[in-house]
Amino acid sequence: MITVFVEPDNETHTFERHNTVLMLQKRLGLRVNDALIIRGGTLLTPDDRLIDGDEIRVRKVISRG
Amino acid sequence: MKCRKCKAPAEIPLPSHNTAFCRDCFAAYFTGQVEKAIRRHGLINPGERVLVALSGGKDSLSLMLELSRLGYDVTGLHVDLGIPASSPAARAKVAGFCELHGLKLRVVELIKEGLPIPDVKRYINRPICSACGKIKRHWFNRVALEDGFQVLATGHNLDDEVARLFANTLRWDAGYLSDQGPCLNAENGFARKIKPLYRLSEFETACYAFLNGIEIHSAPCPYSGKASFTGHKRLWADLEHQSPGSKISFYDGFLKRGRPAFAQVELEAGVTLAPCESCGSPTSTGICGVCRLGIAVRERRAADPERQ
Ligand code: SF4
Ligand SMILES: [Zn+2]
Ligand SMILES: [Zn+2]
Repeated sequence: MITVFVEPDNETHTFERHNTVLMLQKRLGLRVNDALIIRGGTLLTPDDRLIDGDEIRVRKVISRG
Repeated sequence: MKCRKCKAPAEIPLPSHNTAFCRDCFAAYFTGQVEKAIRRHGLINPGERVLVALSGGKDSLSLMLELSRLGYDVTGLHVDLGIPASSPAARAKVAGFCELHGLKLRVVELIKEGLPIPDVKRYINRPICSACGKIKRHWFNRVALEDGFQVLATGHNLDDEVARLFANTLRWDAGYLSDQGPCLNAENGFARKIKPLYRLSEFETACYAFLNGIEIHSAPCPYSGKASFTGHKRLWADLEHQSPGSKISFYDGFLKRGRPAFAQVELEAGVTLAPCESCGSPTSTGICGVCRLGIAVRERRAADPERQ
């Protein structure tokens, strides 16, 4: 299972299947440069694989102010 | 993905530039874009003192850090808006950041100046964000002049600039189109205003902030509704996706071919500015807009039965 925390909406999603970052972005309706995809201290690129147990932070970048 | 430069695993994909970088090569790229902006538009001359407007957001803090790393003489300026729900957190974040990196900071407190934003909202019948923006700009400019800073830097990025330019173009607002850009030269009692991050996208500044440990969480302003440019930013994200590089070419093209024409028109229309009778800031109306706001807020606060 993969846990995804979306900022700044403060929403948590969980996904059963293990996908690539690109598939996650598609699922959330995000383009490559719409959000930072963070795992621990690193940024992921669309081709990176997500693995079981991953905790991913999705930080949307279009600022509100 | 591999870094285009060194073939290490990439962390930052940049389709607009048809590339991807590892964090080290991204840092070099980011610095290169800031240096290019400074060089191309003569943003900072050797020996000049730079005042950096620090809101506490990722862009302003990233700008401050990068300019200090490039060796410029920078001082941060934070305007404490006096909003209980958000200002203390923003101020603490700015102060903590400056302390961590050994950077100079000045703070203007609007409560002390008699113009806390909640009072402006309560007593002044106009959109709060426009009044708030005006007050902040006033203080940036005033501190720059009073304390002898030649340059005033803000953290506007490419997405901010393109969204603003687009809005100004939709209205054909000749006044704004005559001087929007990364460099507004000093004149009429204003310091030079610069935007060294104008070549970098919101995504790029967010990556820079993350990689440099600049936390972007802070309490949002309770008055921030739907930001005016968010819709335009989405349109531009679509356009950029379909044809990468659109944003920078729209903006650079405007600077080269659009702005000079509008500047000519404005020169012919021309308004003359004189120092504000109360605070000395340049204005065309005798007493400047912010001093007039201050007077109105003071009068209405004094007449407010709940505040006696
Ligand atoms: S959102 Fe808040 S801080 Fe920003 S301009 Fe409006 S009132 Fe000022
Ligand atoms: Zn590299
Ligand atoms: Zn004044």
